[in-house]
Parts: sequence; structure tokens; C-alpha cells
Amino acid sequence: MDETGFLNRDVISIKDFSREELDLIFKTAMDVEENPGRYYGSHPDKRVALLFLEPSTRTFGSFNTSAENLGCKILSNRSPEVTSMAKGETLHDTIKMIECYDTDCIVIRDRHMGSARFASEVTELPVVNGGSGSQEHPTQAMLDLYTILKRRGRIDGIRIGLTGDLRYGRTCSSLSYGLVNYDDVELFFVAPGILQVRREVEIYLQQRGVPYIKSESLGEVIGDLDVLYVTRVQKERFPDPTDYERVKGSYVVDLQVLGKAREELGVMHPLPRIDELHADVDKTSHAWYFEQAANGVPVRTALLHHVLGG
Amino acid sequence: MKNQLLVRKIDHGTVIDHIPAWRAEMVMRLLDIEAIRAQPDVSLVSLNNVPSGKLGRKDIIKLTHYHLDEGDADLVYLVFPTVSINYIEGWEPRKYKPKIPERVSGRLRCPEVRCITNAEREPVVARFSVLPEFNVLQCEYCDSLIDFEKMPDYVIGE
Repeated sequence: MDETGFLNRDVISIKDFSREELDLIFKTAMDVEENPGRYYGSHPDKRVALLFLEPSTRTFGSFNTSAENLGCKILSNRSPEVTSMAKGETLHDTIKMIECYDTDCIVIRDRHMGSARFASEVTELPVVNGGSGSQEHPTQAMLDLYTILKRRGRIDGIRIGLTGDLRYGRTCSSLSYGLVNYDDVELFFVAPGILQVRREVEIYLQQRGVPYIKSESLGEVIGDLDVLYVTRVQKERFPDPTDYERVKGSYVVDLQVLGKAREELGVMHPLPRIDELHADVDKTSHAWYFEQAANGVPVRTALLHHVLGG
Repeated sequence: MKNQLLVRKIDHGTVIDHIPAWRAEMVMRLLDIEAIRAQPDVSLVSLNNVPSGKLGRKDIIKLTHYHLDEGDADLVYLVFPTVSINYIEGWEPRKYKPKIPERVSGRLRCPEVRCITNAEREPVVARFSVLPEFNVLQCEYCDSLIDFEKMPDYVIGE
């Protein structure tokens, strides 16, 4: 009997998870960190398929490590070039094939938005979204929330700035969706107009009465923040390269920008970073991002543990 | 020339009136045309660009011996809110009061080119939730939005 409701559950969108369900994942993740022996090797009869059809370092690495820690067998496909998708096989048929290999769970990353939702309709197996195009990255949002919880002691009452590419960056959308579960949250979206937060994210926040502010100036808001979530402004998103050259320096986080921040401000970043987050910040107490990345393992271990029947 | 001279009244069936001019073909694409074709006694008359007091010019579709599914009627009204739909029984019209559907499936394509529903050869059709308070449809796969007034742009083609 599964009392958590997680057994064989799809993890498609962070929107599908309540505060209580997220709390359970975080509680288990904490336990994974404190008592790893309870979890290591606990699912030797399970096989997890890692279908990563787009590049990934952290998400693949942490899911792979998590599945190994749980003692699972792993079926790994790391790019469309090495699967029959290179021969024109559809995602539908690829998922049906993975079903044949005595698989218990499929973790999928694909460039198409909605790919994980579609995959979950193709198979009875639980599907975990490891990133669906520029749409969502729910397990990243889980580890982001977990990082805030560990560092700050609570998520309620947070004033969080999200900066960079909010339009095409899936991590900012998923984190925004996840934050609606908490009380007295305020979001500040800091980006040039062309990369501002997507309208569907705004609608979701409005439906749930979560206040947010859109700004083009990091300097205007940074002094108010508890957390600054930085993402990369990508040159290729700008139709006119001169627009990129004009704005790129405005969203770089360095010691000078952080001079206006509160002492306890935490800086987060889903990584990889290019030049939007200066290496000098690494040595300051503001730098939460490497710990954030490391939290991928306990959070994804906890999630797989419950989905596989912990 | 009065409209009734162009096509005679029908005794039984459905009339979709006040369609924006030259959009009747698009309305037909929203209907379950296979269900209509499956009934041998159904006739379909489509009038284009006839004078209209309300719209200036309009299209009309008359379906003899065919009772349009109310879900289809709701979808036509959602995409073209000027339409009026009358069910005819024994020459008597009964105006249908459309409802806003909660979902739309299979008749509109997703505007997001990177949505899985637009991926080549994937066996999946776009499905949308209707958010009337924001005047948008939202793709249930990729979350992308279609403004109500942009819906005609996304009616699936032949």
C-alpha cells in the first residue's frame, strides 16, 4: 500500500505538486543526506531508463547517480543520434520500445515542449520530466526549493528575483510555478522586454494571487531580495545582435552589483554559467549555486525512491 | 437581393448564420465533417459574402436533416463569436444558446512550433484548456496560449 501517492506517479510539471507533496520529497531528501545507508541499494529489482535526447550534465549526472545509489539497473540513451530517432523513429515508438525492456520508470529530456506529457500518455510507466524544451524542468524546481529551504530555513515570505532569459528558460518558469505553494511570496522578474517572463506564467501567478513585479533593472530591485536566481542571457535569442550587445552587461552579477544587496542574499543559478555570474562571487557567502547543483542528487534520489515504491 | 432568394428554407436541420464573410469553409473544418458525410440524406449549402445588416457581409451554412452536435456548435461559437446557430424542426427555428467549452481537442493546432503536437509524424493531436477569464486557450501539452481573437488563424487545414 502506497500512502504517499507517489508510487508510479508521473512527474511532468511542478504545477502538479502540492506543498505537502513537496514537503515529503524534501523530508526524504534530507534523510537521504543524513542516512544514505537507508536508501543505497534499496531498489535492486528496478530499472530506470534515462532517455536524454538533449545535452545535459547535471540533470543526467544526478539522475544517473541517484538511480545507481538506489541500486537500480540503468538503461541509458544520451542523444537522438545514437537512438533510432536518428533514423526517423518517433518519440512515441521510442517510448514503446523502452517499455519492452523491463523498465520501471522513464526519465526523459527532449527538445519539444510537451514531450514529457505526451510520453506519459504513451506509456503506463511513470515518466519523469528531465526538461521539456523551454517549457518546464520540474525536478530542477524541486532542488531549487530544497536549496532555499535548507539555506533559509523556510520558503514562506521569500522575496526572490529571477533574472536573465525568463522567456525561454525553463528553470525560471518551473521555479515560479513551484513558489505559488508558499505563503507571502513575492517575485521580481528582471529581464529585457524581449526575454521577459512568459504570459502563461503570469496568468498562473494571477490565478493564484501571487504578487510579482516586472523590471528591466537589477539595480532597482536587488536591495529588496532574499534570493537572486540568475540565468544566462543567450545571444541567439535576439533577432538583432546589437540589442544583445546593448543589454548583456545589464544582467551580469558581480561583486559591484552585489554591493547593493542585503548581506544574507543568496545567489542561485541552474548552471551552466557563461559570463552572467562572475567567478568572484564564488568566494562570497552569497554563492549558493554549487550547493544547489549538489542538491540534485538527494532530491532526485528521494523522488525516484518514492516513484519506485519507497 | 434578399437572402431567402438564394436558398430556400429548410424544414429540419441546422443553420449557422452570421459567419464572418468568407469564413464558412473554415467553419466546416471545425465541424465533424466525417459524421456529416456518413449520413446520406444530409445536404449542405454554404453561402458566401451575402449582405448582412449586422456584419455588412456574412456567410451562412445550412445543413438539411442534420442536427449539429452541441459541442461542435459551442466550438464554432467560441472561434467565431458573431455566429448564431438555429436548430430547425418542422420549419420552426430554435436558437441555440452556446456554452463556453472547457476543452478543445483536435480542431486547432498549437501556435508553438516546438510543441510536441507539431512534431513531424508524432501521433498526437493538440488539446487546449479554455481560460475564459483571460480570453485564451492554453495548450495542455506545452502551455502556450492562443488569444480568443487569434483562434481562426489556428484552425487545422485540410
